[in-house]
Amino acid sequence: MAETGNNTGKLAVRLVTPDRVLVECLADAVELPSSAGYMEVLYGHAPLLSDLGAGLVTLHGTDAGVDTKYFVSQGFVEVLPGQVTILAEMALHPEELDASAAREQQAAGEAAWHGAGDDAANYDAANAIIREAEANIAAAETSKH
Amino acid sequence: MANVLDLRRRIRSVKNTRQITKAMKMVSAAKLRRAQERALTARPYARMLTSVLESLVRRTDLYDPITGEIRHPLLVEREEKNVLLVVVSGDKGFAGAFNGNILKAAQRFVDERQAAGQTVDVEAIGRKAREYFRRRYPAAIFERKTVEYDEGMSEHHSVLRHRSGPVEVTGDHPGLLSHLTFDAVNALSHGVVERYEREQIDAVYVIYNEFKSVISQRVVVEKLLPVRKLGAPEVAVLEEMTLEEREEAAEAALRAGISLKAPEEGDLEGTTDKFGTADVEYIFDQDCETLFGSLMPRYVTTQLFHGMLESVAAEHAARMTAMDSATNNASDMIDSLTLTMNRVRQAAITKEIIEIVSGAAAL
Repeated sequence: MAETGNNTGKLAVRLVTPDRVLVECLADAVELPSSAGYMEVLYGHAPLLSDLGAGLVTLHGTDAGVDTKYFVSQGFVEVLPGQVTILAEMALHPEELDASAAREQQAAGEAAWHGAGDDAANYDAANAIIREAEANIAAAETSKH
Repeated sequence: MANVLDLRRRIRSVKNTRQITKAMKMVSAAKLRRAQERALTARPYARMLTSVLESLVRRTDLYDPITGEIRHPLLVEREEKNVLLVVVSGDKGFAGAFNGNILKAAQRFVDERQAAGQTVDVEAIGRKAREYFRRRYPAAIFERKTVEYDEGMSEHHSVLRHRSGPVEVTGDHPGLLSHLTFDAVNALSHGVVERYEREQIDAVYVIYNEFKSVISQRVVVEKLLPVRKLGAPEVAVLEEMTLEEREEAAEAALRAGISLKAPEEGDLEGTTDKFGTADVEYIFDQDCETLFGSLMPRYVTTQLFHGMLESVAAEHAARMTAMDSATNNASDMIDSLTLTMNRVRQAAITKEIIEIVSGAAAL
């Protein structure tokens, strides 16, 4: 079924940030925050390239036994039948998230939106900031429960 | 001739200096190791980004089929009238010719461009470049203008620039290098990309110290924008290490226990270059052009980030070499001073003996 990768029925997952290769492991399924919404990738998925929005990447059924979550933003993903590679500008453990900082960022984003004047690019930039902050807050809150 | 006491004092002071330079050398060696490590771990991301962009280029029509224009603003080439130069220097001195070479190369670049009738904006990274260019060229002045209309219901912001000379410093970034993070470089690169897209600048060059290994470093100027070929930026070498410098650096590295070879990378089983390039029909969640557009600015950031990481490593290597030779010089000086001191002491003893002997002979 899979032309590339392993035959173990597991996905080889890699999470790469500009600083280093953060994660390299096997998993049964990977949940990804695609910019169009969350999607879940299983072994044997058709090849896919997609932009990632800000949100949680969840690895199900890793060797560690528990689900591992990472908060990523500004990412990009390549899915091959036996392999998922995520490039992310930022990747954090959810515990490292700072909800209050995110709220500040959200407020700053909203301020930027209101002060954007009539330049479309400014609105886009402000919206991106707000989106990231919102995802950040949501992720921080779900990880608390 | 100086007396024994003076010489002893001088020896003590040189010994103290040697201790300091030795400590600085060891600190630089440790920092160099860390910087090398960082530059290495940053590579997979850059490689993957480049390879996926290359693959996207093959899948999209970058040229508009009707007008023949390039669709992505960062690939568009214009006549170079306004040039942005990013100078990456060090934060601190005591690094031999490191900062001097960078600044000399940057100055030459600025002079050439100015002679060709182009205007140059300088973005100074690192304290040394900041001090140097701030002293020589005026800072760019921006005026923020707000016009209200619709009876104050909405307003229009615009930023006007008042140019006071052909060469201006548009920004400096103190502290960027000492805590080099991708986010910080990203902010800088966003600004650069935006200015390029708005056609305020027609080309972007980066001058930095390339670091391959301890004995292989050179000052290069890299064309950051427009992007001509992905993964292979146009690089011109401005300054290379002389054979003598190489030998010195090699000796210093040997004494500090640093390998001379360019650090090997794991390369993740050689897969980084294949990222996003598998010979299959991908499903694209967005269309290729949108993806390409969102990845392009990140590519620019990675290029900048990479240059800065190398520059930091090169700075530590240069400091290590400089401090190693300073330590050697101090040792030589101590040797020669000790020799002189012994001679002086011996001369004094001999003189005394002669006096005693001749006194006894006169009896």
